[in-house]
Amino acid sequence: MRDAHKNFGQTCALAGANIELHDREWLGLLGPNGAGKTTLVRAMSGRVRLDRGVITLMGLQSDATSAGADGRTGLGTVPQEIALYPLLTAAENLRAFGSLQGLARRELHDRVAWALSWTGLSERSNEPIGRFSGGMKRRLNIACSVLHRPRVILLDEPTVGVDPQSRHRIWEMLRELRKDGASLLLTTHQLDEAQDVCDRIVIIDHGKTIAAGTLSELLHETIGAERQVTLSLDRPVPELLCQRGFSRKGGNVAQRQVTDLATELPIMLAEVKKTGAAVNDIRIETPTLQTVFLHLTGRELRE
Amino acid sequence: MIATLLKINWLNLRRDYVALGLTFVLPIVFFSIFAFIFGGMGGSSTESSAIEVIVVDRDQTDISARLIRALDHQAALHIITHPKPTQNDSSPTPYTREQARTLVRKGKYPAAVVFPDGFARTFGDFGGGGKPVEIIHDPSNPIVVPTISGLLQAAAITAAPDVLMEKGMEKFDAAGGALTPTQRALVQTFKPILRGLTVAGEKKTLAADGQTASSSPMLSGLVNVKPVDAGKSDDDENTKPRSLVAYYAAGISVMFLLFSMASGAGGSLLEEQERGTLERVLATNIGMKTLLLGHWLFFSFMGIAQIILMFVWAAVVFNLDLWSPRHLLGFVAMTVATACAASAFGIVLATICKSRTQLGGVSTIVILIMSALGGSMIPRFIMPAFMNTTALFTFNGWALDGYLKVFWYENTNTPLIQAMIYILPQLGVLAAMTVVFLGTARLLAKRWETA
Repeated sequence: MRDAHKNFGQTCALAGANIELHDREWLGLLGPNGAGKTTLVRAMSGRVRLDRGVITLMGLQSDATSAGADGRTGLGTVPQEIALYPLLTAAENLRAFGSLQGLARRELHDRVAWALSWTGLSERSNEPIGRFSGGMKRRLNIACSVLHRPRVILLDEPTVGVDPQSRHRIWEMLRELRKDGASLLLTTHQLDEAQDVCDRIVIIDHGKTIAAGTLSELLHETIGAERQVTLSLDRPVPELLCQRGFSRKGGNVAQRQVTDLATELPIMLAEVKKTGAAVNDIRIETPTLQTVFLHLTGRELRE
Repeated sequence: MIATLLKINWLNLRRDYVALGLTFVLPIVFFSIFAFIFGGMGGSSTESSAIEVIVVDRDQTDISARLIRALDHQAALHIITHPKPTQNDSSPTPYTREQARTLVRKGKYPAAVVFPDGFARTFGDFGGGGKPVEIIHDPSNPIVVPTISGLLQAAAITAAPDVLMEKGMEKFDAAGGALTPTQRALVQTFKPILRGLTVAGEKKTLAADGQTASSSPMLSGLVNVKPVDAGKSDDDENTKPRSLVAYYAAGISVMFLLFSMASGAGGSLLEEQERGTLERVLATNIGMKTLLLGHWLFFSFMGIAQIILMFVWAAVVFNLDLWSPRHLLGFVAMTVATACAASAFGIVLATICKSRTQLGGVSTIVILIMSALGGSMIPRFIMPAFMNTTALFTFNGWALDGYLKVFWYENTNTPLIQAMIYILPQLGVLAAMTVVFLGTARLLAKRWETA
C-alpha cells in the first residue's frame, strides 16, 4: 500500500500511510487508538475506498477509484469481533463461510474437516457455537477466514479477550499457516506478542507510517544502542559514584545509561569496587517494542 | 436515589426519539385515525359517510318513484340509479338488476335496492303480503341491510301516507265493517292533504325521523324486504355461501406478515451488521445486490409459508373455501405477490434504520398505521370515502383488495382467466411495490458497502 489517503468527512483516517508485506512474512501493524490501523486493514480487504493511493496485492494493482485490490480472492480477513452465526454449529459456520468464499462441495468438505482439526473443535463440531468458550469462538473465527487458503491473512486483534492457554494455541495455529506459505498482517495492542512473533513491525500514527523494520532496526533508529544498567549495592550509593555519572534510585540502587555495554560495564564495576561497596545484583534493561512505541507515539492518552 | 433513577430514565427517554414517538405520537395518530373512521359514521360529517346504494325501479309506478325520492332525501343514503354520464353517453340508461348485482358483488357498492314489478299493487298490505323489495347486499358489511330496511319503512310512511291510509281503511272495511258515506268522504278529503303535507315536508321529516322510524318495530313490516347475497346465484340454491372468514383471514394475515417481515427480513440484516457477519460476508465474493436478494428471497418464502398456514387453518377449522381451482389459483398469485412485497418492505426498513431497536419502533408505527388505514384492523366499508382513498396508498389496502377479490368479490360464472385478470391491478401494484422497495433498499444499503 503506497501513499494511502482517506478522509471520513472532516476526520482524516489515513494521511499517506505506506505498508509493505513480503511473501511469507509476519508483519505487525501497531498504532495508538485512532491511528488508522482498522481503516488501513479495511482498505486492504476492499471495504474502504481510498481517496488517494495504490494497493497492490499479489501483483494486482488497484487505485483509489476501485474498492480494494483485485487480488482480494487471495486474501483472508479475520475481524476483531466474533463474526459468526451463534445458532449455527461450528461445522455449519465453517461450511457457510467456505461456501461464500467460493469453495466447491468436495473441497469445502475437506477444508471444513481440516479447520475443525486445526482448531481442535472436531469433537464439538455439531454444537451451536453459542455454547462455546471465548477461546473456542476465537479459533473458529480465524478458521472461517482461512478456509480458502488465502496467501495473505489480515488479523485484527486475534487474541483479544482470551486466556493465556487459548492465546498460545492461537499463535500455534498461526505459525502453521505461515509454514504453509501464508503472509500475515497482524494488528494488535499486545506489544510483547508482536515483538515475539513478528518479523517486522510497522507503527502508524495520525494516519501515517512513522516507523517500519525489524525490532533491532527500530531500536537502532529510535533509541539507538543505549542500555540502562541498574546496580544494587550492599550500602547506600556513595557520593563518589554520583559524581561519576551514576544516578541514585532509592537508597542502595544506582543506575547509568551505557551505549557500549561490553566496554563500559567492566569500568562501572571497577568504579564501584574503588568506593569499597559490593555489588549484590546487576540488571541490564534492553529496550523493548513498548519502549520504541512509547518513544515514537508519546505517552499521552488517545481518545 | 429515586431522583437519580428518575433522571437516568428521563435522559434515556429524551434521547430515544423512537421511544418518544411510540409513547406520545403514535397514540395521537391512532386516535385521529379512529376518530376519522367512527366520527365520520355518525358525527357531524355524515355527508362523508352516507351509504352509496344503487336503486333499480322495475315497477316504474308513482308509488315506487315516491319511495325512491324519499330514500334520496335520506342523509344516510346516497342513491345512484344510473352510471355517471360520459362524453359518449350523456344520458346513460338506469342500472338493471343484474348490473346492480354485479357492481355489489365486485364491491363497488355495498348494496342495491330493487323495487320489483308489481310492487305498487301490493304496497301497504298491512298483513305482510306485499311484494318484497330486494336488498342485494355484500354480506361482509353486516350493517347495510338493517339500515336500508329501516330507512325503507320510514320512506314508506312518509312518502305515501295517503296510500297507506287508503289501504288501511280497506283492511278496516273488511275486518270492522264498512264506513258510512260521511266517514268515507272525510277519508277522501284527508288523502290529498296528507300527500301534500308529505311532499312539502318530506325532506325535513325523513331527515329528522329516519333513525327513529327504522328502529320502531311498529313500522318494520310496511315494506317487505328480501335480503339477497350478491355473491349467490339466483338459479343455484346450492351455491355455497361465502364465508366472512376470508375477509378476516386476509386482514390478519397481511398485518402479521408485515410484522414478521420487518422483524425477520429487516431484523436479520441489522443483526448481521451488529454481529459483524455482514462485514465478513461482504469481504467475500458476495456483492451487496446478491446479499439483499438472498435475504429477500428467503423471507419471501417465509411469508408465503406463513400465509399458506393461516389460510389452510382457516379452511380446515373455519370452512374457508380454499380448495376450488379458482380460489386456489387466485390465492397462490396473491400470496406470492404479497409475500414478495412484504419481504422487500422489511428489507427497505432495515436499510433505513440504524439498529434493531430503531427498526422495532419504526416498523411498529408504520405497520400499525398502514394496517388501520388499509383495512386490516377495521373493515374499510365503515370508513369515510376519503379514508378509503387513503387506503390506496398503503400496502395493506392493495393486498387486502386482492384477497377479497379472490375470496369475496368473485364471480363464479366468469372463466378462470378472467378471474385472474380481475386481480391483475392488485398483483401489478404489489409487484411495483416490490421493485420500488428493493430499488430503494439497494440505494440505501450503500452505507454498508465500501466506505
